[in-house]
Amino acid sequence: MSENKDQSRQVDPKLLEFLVCPLTHGTLRYDREAQELISDQAKLAYPIRDGIPIMLPYEARQLDDD
Amino acid sequence: MNGPQFDQITVFDREQVRRNRDRAAPGFDDVDFLVRESADRLTDRLRDIARLFPAALDLGCRTGLLSDFVTGMNGIQTLIQADLSPGMAARADRGDRPAVAADEEWLPFAEESFDLVLSNLSLHWVNDLPGALIQINRALKADGLFLGAMLGGETLKELRDVMALAEVELRDGLSPRISPFADLRDAGALMQRAGFALPVIDSDTITVTYGNPLTLMQELRKMGEGNAVAERSRRPLGRDILMRAAELYAERYAGPDGRVPATFEIIYLHGWAPHETQQKPLRPGSARNRLAAALGAEEQSAGEKPNGT
Repeated sequence: MSENKDQSRQVDPKLLEFLVCPLTHGTLRYDREAQELISDQAKLAYPIRDGIPIMLPYEARQLDDD
Repeated sequence: MNGPQFDQITVFDREQVRRNRDRAAPGFDDVDFLVRESADRLTDRLRDIARLFPAALDLGCRTGLLSDFVTGMNGIQTLIQADLSPGMAARADRGDRPAVAADEEWLPFAEESFDLVLSNLSLHWVNDLPGALIQINRALKADGLFLGAMLGGETLKELRDVMALAEVELRDGLSPRISPFADLRDAGALMQRAGFALPVIDSDTITVTYGNPLTLMQELRKMGEGNAVAERSRRPLGRDILMRAAELYAERYAGPDGRVPATFEIIYLHGWAPHETQQKPLRPGSARNRLAAALGAEEQSAGEKPNGT
């Protein structure tokens, strides 16, 4: 899904500087299109909903190996 | 579900804690008095510390009311707010104070990134409190401050008492209905185990009165503080127990005006991420003056000495 998000609901770039993957403590990749924060190490994508990153391991989408 | 599996000893059902808080989020302002009072007291403690904390985190922010108190204080420039409940995090988001949904047991923050971590009445739902404190310590820069308020062991002692009585009376045993809270005497040891330097612990009691015990129970649920003890579902709480507990509560605790008190103990935790400039105890044997000389007393041998010296 790549619907255009309201500008005010974008995640705060300042916040992204503080965030790491809660499982691996590795860095996260910001996927602006999908509104997800991706942990390549953990193969998990954490959703960003209305500008709020949901950094809960059990809420994350599992990425397939390919 | 094909998400990661988490195996650990669990007292609390964290999913339930999150659901309770998500449900409480929209109407929380009507029942935020306890959290607000505690935030106010925590803010007083922060004000007393003559230090600047450019980057701060509020862990367990609920609707963001602590951030409203501390904004502009102690040189805070960036304030990140985190709550287990996405619903609460959405309410806390203030634009200049961004919010994130984060689990205290799985902190998503880079090491040494904050000068200050605040936590207001949230750590009582954490299964691994030492682990959470260690993670908080890691998220702090060297010489950063952790200042937290946590519900302590005296909290809801009246309710705990009458629920136990009612259940023993009407059933053949006890189920955990009310969250176990950390004791004041454990808190200092916990802070030390988590590697905090110069830990200071103190506590306060807030007594709130209610028209009747059922209002208290209702309000706890509205606050998102309903039962989330993992074992709770083995034996559901029957209406008969609830009504008997309410009766006993009024019998044993009601004041002359018929209102009933509920005790909340708040434990304040205060500790620093270690840094070499902090004061430390001296090395044993490093004293330069004799104690006897300082006291103006004559030193007397206690008898045998090690190594014949």
